[in-house]
Amino acid sequence: MDRNQLIKWLKEPAKMGHKYSLHAVYFCTGCGIIEVPPSITARWDAERFGVLPVATPRQANLFLITGYVSVKTLKAIIRTYEQMPEPKYTVGFGSCPINGGMYWDSYNTIKHLDKYIPIDGWIAGCMPRPEAIFVAVTHLWTLIDKDMADGYRRYRESYNEYRTNQEQVLGKLDWPPLFSIEGAR
Amino acid sequence: MQIVHIILSLLLALFIGIFFSGLSRKIMARIHWRYGPPITQPVIDLIRLFNQRGVSHGRLFDLGIILALAGSLVVVLLLPVGSIHPLSGSGGLLVILYMMLLAPLGIALSGGEAANPNTSIGISRKLLLAMGYEVPLLFILLAVMTHYKTISIVQIVGMQQETRWALVSLPMLLSGIAYILILPAVLGVRPFEIVQAPQEISSGPMVEFGGPFLGLAMIQHALGLYVGIALFVNLFLGGAGNPLTFFIKMLVVFVLGIFINAALPRLRIEQAIRYLWRWPTAFAFVGLVVVVLLR
Amino acid sequence: MSAGLVLAVAFGGSLITYILGKVSSRIRDVFAVLVSLALVAMIALLLAGDGGNSSYFDFLGLSLLLRTNMLSLFFAITISVLGALSIIFSLSYIRNRERTDFYYLMLLLINAAMLGIVLSGDLLSFFIFWEIMSWSTFLLISYNRGAALAAGMKYIVMSIFGSLAMLVGVISIYTKFGTLNISEIAAVIEQAGSGYVVSLLILFFTAFGIKNAILPFHSWLPPAHAEAPSPFSSILSGILIKMGTYGFILFMYVIVGVNRFIDIGHGVLSFRYILSILGAITILIPTFIALLQDDAKKLLAWSTIGQAGYIILGIAFGTSVSVAGGMFHFFNHSVFKGLLFLAVGAVEYRTNGVRDLNSLGGLIKKMPVTFTGALIGACGLIGLPLTNGFVSKWLIYKTLILEQSPFLAFAALFGTWGTILYSYKLIHNVFLGQLPERYADIRKSPLSMQLPIITLSSIIILFGIFPGVPLKIINSIGVSLGFDALDVSLWGIASESGTLNVINLFAAIIIGAVLAGIVLKAAPKSVTVSQEDTYAAGAAIPKDRYNYTMNFYNPVSRMISPYLKDFIDAFYMKLAGWTQGVCSGARRIYTGYVGHYVMYIVLLLAVLIFVQLRWSPW
Repeated sequence: MDRNQLIKWLKEPAKMGHKYSLHAVYFCTGCGIIEVPPSITARWDAERFGVLPVATPRQANLFLITGYVSVKTLKAIIRTYEQMPEPKYTVGFGSCPINGGMYWDSYNTIKHLDKYIPIDGWIAGCMPRPEAIFVAVTHLWTLIDKDMADGYRRYRESYNEYRTNQEQVLGKLDWPPLFSIEGAR
Repeated sequence: MQIVHIILSLLLALFIGIFFSGLSRKIMARIHWRYGPPITQPVIDLIRLFNQRGVSHGRLFDLGIILALAGSLVVVLLLPVGSIHPLSGSGGLLVILYMMLLAPLGIALSGGEAANPNTSIGISRKLLLAMGYEVPLLFILLAVMTHYKTISIVQIVGMQQETRWALVSLPMLLSGIAYILILPAVLGVRPFEIVQAPQEISSGPMVEFGGPFLGLAMIQHALGLYVGIALFVNLFLGGAGNPLTFFIKMLVVFVLGIFINAALPRLRIEQAIRYLWRWPTAFAFVGLVVVVLLR
Repeated sequence: MSAGLVLAVAFGGSLITYILGKVSSRIRDVFAVLVSLALVAMIALLLAGDGGNSSYFDFLGLSLLLRTNMLSLFFAITISVLGALSIIFSLSYIRNRERTDFYYLMLLLINAAMLGIVLSGDLLSFFIFWEIMSWSTFLLISYNRGAALAAGMKYIVMSIFGSLAMLVGVISIYTKFGTLNISEIAAVIEQAGSGYVVSLLILFFTAFGIKNAILPFHSWLPPAHAEAPSPFSSILSGILIKMGTYGFILFMYVIVGVNRFIDIGHGVLSFRYILSILGAITILIPTFIALLQDDAKKLLAWSTIGQAGYIILGIAFGTSVSVAGGMFHFFNHSVFKGLLFLAVGAVEYRTNGVRDLNSLGGLIKKMPVTFTGALIGACGLIGLPLTNGFVSKWLIYKTLILEQSPFLAFAALFGTWGTILYSYKLIHNVFLGQLPERYADIRKSPLSMQLPIITLSSIIILFGIFPGVPLKIINSIGVSLGFDALDVSLWGIASESGTLNVINLFAAIIIGAVLAGIVLKAAPKSVTVSQEDTYAAGAAIPKDRYNYTMNFYNPVSRMISPYLKDFIDAFYMKLAGWTQGVCSGARRIYTGYVGHYVMYIVLLLAVLIFVQLRWSPW
């Protein structure tokens, strides 16, 4: 952790700020949320990394999609993701967002979340332990350092593909497109 | 010279406010037997927030938070810090009382523009809580102004420096106790953290604040913390001759407030108003009667 | 240029407007505006000149006098400016209603009567103009028919009661002193005993207290102001109430005199102290009743009662600073209450009569100018620094604190918190929040409504930054009444126990706002979203139901509403019911059968003969 290296702060304050102040939207999307309270309370203290849960997507820049994603939850996830201010990072938490996990043959769950919103990193496990969450956070720092955590940029550039996929599974969407065809809102 | 005082006052307030925000998280973490973030974490949060593209709901949304921050900055200039008091000759304690209204009004306007019922509930709670602690606070301030026969806060500090702290002087003892009882409500820490209430109303007025707006709201909150504690130190703990003593007094008061914050849960708004209008008001009222009788 | 000319133009203008209205409504509109603006100009010229008496009519051996001094002209300029602005506002408001000629006639007549009241130099003309104002107000309150008729009836009954008390006082002065000229009475009243002066004060207090809606006499105000047409509501709340204030100042300070007035009574039981306490109670209770209201105009009406308490508290307290504060607050309150009623009237006009706070919302997107006006009016009402309301309230607070009356100061300071709560409720429920679907098509206010709103808002800010301009006039009024002079500068008031320097605060706020704005601009540019894109926990916003307006202050309203029931109004209603019961009982004497009447006559004769035979009193 290079939080106390003042030179880096002076050279690239934005990147260092994004790394050490990851506020996660406290949106319990699925069963995986059961592993989040232990990681933010006293035993596995997440606040020492700067990770804090916040109440609304407007104040957040990290979205942990914990556990399986049913079709109903997908609507809420997309809305919440679009309400977050940029730059924002998403982490798929558990096996279900990766490939359907335990519900691989269910009619009601999403098997590949990456088709609907951009994901920057995955944490395998069912459920991943809090230590796995911290490993994921440190990997996210590395990605941010190397400018590879660009999910929000991918969303902006390929918005049409994402929106087509969303409409395929959710039917007609009752919120307007976030970006116009050209790219910026 | 005046310009130097103004800039010094503002920088001191910002530094102390943000330091206190970070210190509060560290102390709370240590009370919870965990490590907690570094004390500079609010600075890191602010750097991150000011590098995000926020979301706005219109012109009033931007102007509201600017007005709130401007109001807090002006109150900072009106309070004496040790020997630095740039604007304190412009109306005294009454002006401070009414400038302290600009900040909640600004947040209320930009929150109302956000068109979210969570903001509206949060703001109605904020105004009700303020009305709750204003009853004892007005009795306390009237006791102070009647006892020292002035409305200028610099003169009050000066008189305390000559004789003794108001908290330990006999006519003002009850008012001092009442002020200590309502201090968590004035600062907005638990058990009176009713306005933010992230678990109940999703941060109340700040529900739609993102990016730079949240950054400005954090700075305003830090300045609000500073103003609340500085007012108490100036009125009851004798102010100070230089900023360092002032800072130490503020630190003692703040750490005691954090201990209370860590131990207590959040009250409901009607429980809070009932508490504030009961014992603290009784103490403050009797304190005012004592001051009037002993004058 | 004399007072007589002003009154001739005012009264003549109202009659000619009515006649012109029969010819063409456009000519009548233009003429009404011209008359009111001409009145403003004439009074401004009088203000720049100097005072004097001018007799104009001889009636029953008394000469009816007009006079102009700074006090009269200060009130007169407020009356004429507010009257002109509300006539300009009425141009659009009243356009498609019936009996518009009658409306303009009454509005101009009321203005003329109020000018007559403040310009009159003797008590008889004062009483005549007072009566003209009272009944024309009744006619105009009942303009809307329906619920307005009951409201008007309540008003006129209470007002007549007050006028009768005043008549008794005037007649008693005439029989005792033989003159009704105000300056002569002021000279000769020093010979009268304290008891007589106190009884006069109580009689006139009844009359002026009913008009000024001090607490035991306030019941007529909320229904009257809520049901009257909005431009007239702004005149009612803004200036008609203050005729009571003018009466108080006239009687307490001009006639009885400062020194005598302060000395009347023993210690705590003095007239001035009791009036101050009534003023303090009038601040507290109606301000908190206003919190609980759901009708925008009723909220503003209760707020008027509360603010009138500030004015009475300032004037009754009797020090030079407090009287200056009270008079300045009278002027300020006319401006911002007039502004608020005009803003609510503009909203009512565009939404076809909706005043219910629980069903409006989000109108800032459609009516930005009206919102800005209402916001500035609300800021003035609260007394935020940089508005003129702050200066007048600062004066009142300072004198109450430094003259060692902390409990009255507490009432004044706590009243401001009630004001903050209901002002925010008004602004939030009408202009902020989500815009309902049914108001998605309303247009902005018309220009003739925006003009008065903009004018009044600029007055609030201008006199907030440069309070010295009206304070100099008020200072000269105070000196002429016999108080000490204040040290007034362009930007505030200086004194050894606390200075007010508004320009510093103004500069500080501007610099603070600029700094915050720079910080905001330096961050990446933010994205603007519509009202549908707000936090709802990932769900879609339920249309038209995502606005929090009902029971806005629910927690505290449950706690305090049992204590805020209007006992006094219930008492008056019971009194009225009892009177009606007695009278309908007495009516049963008239059975309509002549035989009963003959029996009454015979019985009375028998009783009289019996009394004469037994005791021979005649």
